Amino acid sequence: MIEVTNLQKIYNGVTVLNIPVLTIQEGESFGLVGNNGAGKTTFFRLILDLIEASAGEVVIDDEIVARNEDWKTKVGSFLDEGFLIDFLKPEEYFSFVGKLYGKSEGDINQFLNSIREFFNSEILDTKKLIRDFSKGNQKKIGIAAALLGDPKILILDEPFTALDPSSQIRLKRFLNEMQKTKNITMLISSHDLNHVTEVCKRIVILEKGNVVKDLQTTEDTLKELEAYFAV
Amino acid sequence: MKGFLVRDLIRQEWLKSSRSQGFYKNLAVNILLGFFALYMAVMFLFIGFSLDNILEKLDDKLNPTQLFTGAMLYIVLLALAFRFFMQQLNTMNLPPYQVLPVKRNYLVNFLLVKPFFSLANYFHLFITVPFAVQSVSKYYDGGTAFRFVLINIFLVWFNSLMASFLKRKYGSGFSSFLFILVVIAALGALEYFKIFSLYKISLAAFGFVLFDPLGILIPLLAVAVAYALNRLFFRRNYYAERFNSKLKTDRNYNVNFSFLNRFGTIGEIMGLEIKLILRHKRTKSVLYMSAFFLLYGLIFYSNSAYDERQGFLFFVAMFITGLLMLMFGQWVISWDSSHFDGLMTKNISVSTYLKANFYLLIAFNVISFVLTTPYFFFGMKIVYMHLAAFIFNIGVNVYLLLFLSTFNTRRLDLSKTSALNYQGTTYKNFLIVLPIMFLPMIIVGVLSTYFSTAAALWTLTITGLVGTAFHKPIMTLCENQFKRRKYAMAEGFREIE
Repeated sequence: MIEVTNLQKIYNGVTVLNIPVLTIQEGESFGLVGNNGAGKTTFFRLILDLIEASAGEVVIDDEIVARNEDWKTKVGSFLDEGFLIDFLKPEEYFSFVGKLYGKSEGDINQFLNSIREFFNSEILDTKKLIRDFSKGNQKKIGIAAALLGDPKILILDEPFTALDPSSQIRLKRFLNEMQKTKNITMLISSHDLNHVTEVCKRIVILEKGNVVKDLQTTEDTLKELEAYFAV
Repeated sequence: MKGFLVRDLIRQEWLKSSRSQGFYKNLAVNILLGFFALYMAVMFLFIGFSLDNILEKLDDKLNPTQLFTGAMLYIVLLALAFRFFMQQLNTMNLPPYQVLPVKRNYLVNFLLVKPFFSLANYFHLFITVPFAVQSVSKYYDGGTAFRFVLINIFLVWFNSLMASFLKRKYGSGFSSFLFILVVIAALGALEYFKIFSLYKISLAAFGFVLFDPLGILIPLLAVAVAYALNRLFFRRNYYAERFNSKLKTDRNYNVNFSFLNRFGTIGEIMGLEIKLILRHKRTKSVLYMSAFFLLYGLIFYSNSAYDERQGFLFFVAMFITGLLMLMFGQWVISWDSSHFDGLMTKNISVSTYLKANFYLLIAFNVISFVLTTPYFFFGMKIVYMHLAAFIFNIGVNVYLLLFLSTFNTRRLDLSKTSALNYQGTTYKNFLIVLPIMFLPMIIVGVLSTYFSTAAALWTLTITGLVGTAFHKPIMTLCENQFKRRKYAMAEGFREIE
């Protein structure tokens, strides 16, 4: 469970994020939408303790995240290429990450087998380094690594952009399955309103750092979102 | 039309550097580099003015100019080898221009001629001009002196063109490094055992080039040939992806450091950093350079002029026994800048991360120390100095580096080549190196003057041992510092230049 209280981030006098209170329940799929600069990535970085909050706090399972390290075992995340170690081969990277979470080679292979479909045989056994892959394939590697440690909480920043259409569909199917079978809490930001409504049961709209809408997904949600963002 | 194009191309190259982020931010470093250039110029001038005197004493039969011509072939070959590894290829970002109606020929010529306008390629004039005026004109005439300077300029042009051709054609991987090292060693050995003398060939060949009025045509011809080779290469490899292909492929990715697995997460991270060193151009070229720096001691230990300058000798001892730590240590933490966010969100505690870096630095020190043990032949004083330096390095400097490196918040781009690459270097790097390198030197200098060398070395040894004894609290200190600085580092590392 993630609890956010009075969270603020201020850069040079400009408030880029201000969330008085927000709670994300265990097993919830939480979608975050908003235009560029709305504060989505800032919010995720605050949850991951990559930036320092100007005020307030993020609490995961009753423990404050800031300057703490216990949450790292529970949270899997992929925000951008900065999460990849790009001079490794994908296999080496998965092995490295797997070992950090106490996985054996067998566990890692089993995991890689389970997402073989998502990789579409473009990732493994290519002898390429991660830095030589396309943006889309790098994204797939990052998402897979985020899942490798059996996280209770998964945080993905715009996972659908740069993926090819088939991969987008596979990823959606994959995320939906994970929710059903493993009860993972998911935080996903997206610019694609279609995708996010298909994957998330709760959708929050951020605008200039403020939560302006907090919706439970229904059949009408997509229309509501489209109406909100229409210009 | 063409003049206008050249102006534009030059302007855009200038904009590329001046508009890159951090150009002004990094002014302090640029000024320091300016001072460095000035220092080099003065040193070169000094060498230029004293070369005549030095060479005069070296041989009775031959005059300084003849001796110079004898060394010429060696100078050209060594400079070529040096350039082959260190010179950055002048790449222009061709693709954006390729789609514009600009003749390709024109771009290629621009690319090849550009280094001729680089000031660094004329630094040698600080040596050759004084020598020509002072020495060559004394033994011969003004015309010969003038030709001497010209020939040197042409040879630098030749080397610059030839190095970029060889680099494009063969790539500067480890195998070419070994090959060149072996060739140089072989030539040196053949000369030493008087089997085959490059010196005599050089004497004859460059004698002709310098003293025959028509000789100057030969280096000019060499420049033309090197130019033609480059042109041929670009004609054969029409597309950008092909003419840079050699520079990109690195095949040797199958090295595994499975023995490190035994050390758990710490071992995993150490293995990661070692791969990082072996798979990036910049770190690899620093590694090659370190091999040369190991020989640094030969210059000073064998020279009796330094016998009484204990502080300086200790500086040398510390430099070579801690070589790898000093070369790579300033990059600790910041070399993870491109994947820092990833490391900070994965299941790695700060203390594990710092421990991994700590043991890596210790390993660097042990390797350098072992590699420099042959210097023990220079006597017991060197043995003591190396031991004291080693203990001080692992007991004090390692911690200092770990602590101070947290102030480095510049993203480090390791994919760009070359030794004289100052990307990601700020005045902070210099501030970090100052206490590490010069403080011990001053301590030894002062203590050995007023007390004894033994007292100085013991002081440093004991300081080092005390540091090691307090390993745990010091590491906790470093950890807290890291946690305090984490956000500033992460933010700085995210900024791509």
